[in-house]
Amino acid sequence: MAMAKALIFRETIHRLERIGLGYVLLLLGLVGLVGWGASSYLSQQWTRGLWVTGMNTPAYWGIYIVNFVLFIGLSAGGILVAALVHAVGIERFRPVARIAEILAISCLVLATVFIMLDLGRPERFFHLLLYGRMSSPLVWDVIVINVYLAISMALGYFSTRADLIHCMRELPRRRWLYRMLSLGYTDLSPQALERDHRILRTLAFAAIPAAIGLHSVTAWIFGLVKARPGWHSALIAPLFVVSAIVSGLALVIVAVVVSRRAFRLPIADHVVKDLGLLLAFLIPVLGYFLFAELLTVVYAREPAPLAVFREMMVGSYAPIFWFNLLLGLLLPLLVLMNPPRRVVLAGSAVATGVVAIAVTRFEIPLAGLLPFLPTQVALGIPPTAIVAVFWAFGLALPLLLLVSPKGLTPARIGIAAALVVLGVVAERTNIVLPPLLERLMPYPAGPGYFPTLVEISIVVGTYALGVLAFAFLAKLFPLVELSHEEREAA
Amino acid sequence: MPRWGMVIDLDKCTACQSCTVACRVENNVPIAGQRDSSNGRAIFWNEVIPVIEGDGTHLKGRFIPRPCMHCENPPCVQVCPVGATFKDAEGIVRQDYQRCIGCRYCTVACPYGARYFNWRAPEFAESHASYRNPDAPARPRPVGVVEKCTFCVQRIERARRRVAAEGRELRDGDVVPACVQTCPGRARFFGDLDDKHSQVSRLARSPRALRFLEDLGTRPQVIYLMEG
Ligand code: SF4
Ligand code: SF4
Repeated sequence: MAMAKALIFRETIHRLERIGLGYVLLLLGLVGLVGWGASSYLSQQWTRGLWVTGMNTPAYWGIYIVNFVLFIGLSAGGILVAALVHAVGIERFRPVARIAEILAISCLVLATVFIMLDLGRPERFFHLLLYGRMSSPLVWDVIVINVYLAISMALGYFSTRADLIHCMRELPRRRWLYRMLSLGYTDLSPQALERDHRILRTLAFAAIPAAIGLHSVTAWIFGLVKARPGWHSALIAPLFVVSAIVSGLALVIVAVVVSRRAFRLPIADHVVKDLGLLLAFLIPVLGYFLFAELLTVVYAREPAPLAVFREMMVGSYAPIFWFNLLLGLLLPLLVLMNPPRRVVLAGSAVATGVVAIAVTRFEIPLAGLLPFLPTQVALGIPPTAIVAVFWAFGLALPLLLLVSPKGLTPARIGIAAALVVLGVVAERTNIVLPPLLERLMPYPAGPGYFPTLVEISIVVGTYALGVLAFAFLAKLFPLVELSHEEREAA
Repeated sequence: MPRWGMVIDLDKCTACQSCTVACRVENNVPIAGQRDSSNGRAIFWNEVIPVIEGDGTHLKGRFIPRPCMHCENPPCVQVCPVGATFKDAEGIVRQDYQRCIGCRYCTVACPYGARYFNWRAPEFAESHASYRNPDAPARPRPVGVVEKCTFCVQRIERARRRVAAEGRELRDGDVVPACVQTCPGRARFFGDLDDKHSQVSRLARSPRALRFLEDLGTRPQVIYLMEG
């Protein structure tokens, strides 16, 4: 037994040095994408200014800020899982804790990259340190991002240190690298490990209020602006906290499902299932917050916020909104709940029937379908859009649920989680953009906002940078913490 | 110390846009050109907003000339992370082009849409070179920073120098911003809101006086006289 454990241990560590063709191709592809993004940035945005983006007056902010908010949120999943493992002591999530921590750190770094990309004068970034004004929520965010980043780095360090030292002992060629990463602290005595453990616990506890602070402050960048009716809401901070946790957890699931395959990691199916279950519990909470916000605006019918929500629900942002609701929240929830086939079939038959009725006798059934909407709003919905979305939904649902007869496989949990991440991308887009287009003074409508190729290239390049960092770290140390017994046996 | 303010009489405004043009020339605001204008990249320190009211048969056009309101309680100043926009001692909300990092938080936070971002480096046609205002505070702004109406600070400074040379104090009417000077309908007035006898404070007490979006608590120092 001990022999076998020791073998696994060696095997895991030595696999770090084995680099396959697939991996090299992946790296090359990613480097290519990063290069493409970087060259777009340098040749276009750096030299010609934000003119090369699709932003304008009054769409002052675009996909850079959307992605900034998105990645701040995505970093939450890592801290959630890390806190569950290190603070609460839920051991069954330990195998995914390291992946989660890596994601937390890299998402935060990407978020700061996105805020830099958005600045008209990125070379003056240091002005934030020199002249920072405490009255600005942006300055609060800079502070809380740094605190949070420090905590996550420390968490990552103390939970990886022991493994780094094992790697140092096993892989002499990379000795210097691991020594550097472990900051020279190579003591593996039981006392030292016990101390690491205590520090981890404290850090994980500290990370929870820091995370709530981070997501609330990021929300307040928007929520405290009274000039923008769609943002100016007290609910926005808790909403950000919940969507951060949901999207972050979903991203952890996606990363676990993918890297488990790609790097043959020893993560059991039931861990993925438990993560999926946790996600299924959290999705309705997010849905609840969205509904509470929506109801308040739609019921009160104050013109300015209602105009924003109109634009969002039935205007040019409607496809994004309905995608978020139906394919980003409802569908994954259904997939994760894993209902029996009969129920799925009956459900989609009913859904299709309802759509059919809605198509033929549009006015009455639709108002009945959406009783919480004032009739005028409900009738303003372009019928074709609604019908198309409902059809897509009615088709995608049974397809996704019925392709695999094996029930809730990790792959399907991964797909559901990926849909949740995409749903939150949509949600973030709709939080940031439509309120910018609604103005309090009676200006004529602006040209709207659509990102340019330059902007999209830069965003894709930045995504690739994140994946590249992850792929790189996957070969630097084991993505799954080496278990205690394995270390002992070795 | 004066507290500068402006009054705009909407009854007298003919929407001729002279103020917009005068402001552009006085403050070296670049002309965006057709393509940039239709892409929402034009800069207007002063803009005349057309408002069409009513249904198909009873249309009414209104026009609102809009400079910066120089709010007493300016949201733009509150949110700026680096203090690049600030309120000076005379109540003018100013902009430090050397400090601004171009985050556009202030443009987002201004309820009046009075702030503009330099999406590109300003360009001036060769033929306009001789019309450029050489006054330092009005020099063209670099790419990537925000700019807006300054109540023509350079004219305030110049008026100060002039009255100092004449050996007297500033009087009502000594400072005349470009838009006020040029307005053919004499719809705009400028002066010290703290001086009870100045023209602007008398007009500000008129029953027709109104400040836009007053319920936001921004307390604009540009006061409108509504159409009778
Ligand atoms: S009108 Fe806008 S730019 Fe001018 S002071 Fe008020 S908030 Fe600032
Ligand atoms: S764009 Fe400039 S002036 Fe406006 S908030 Fe940012 S740093 Fe301040």
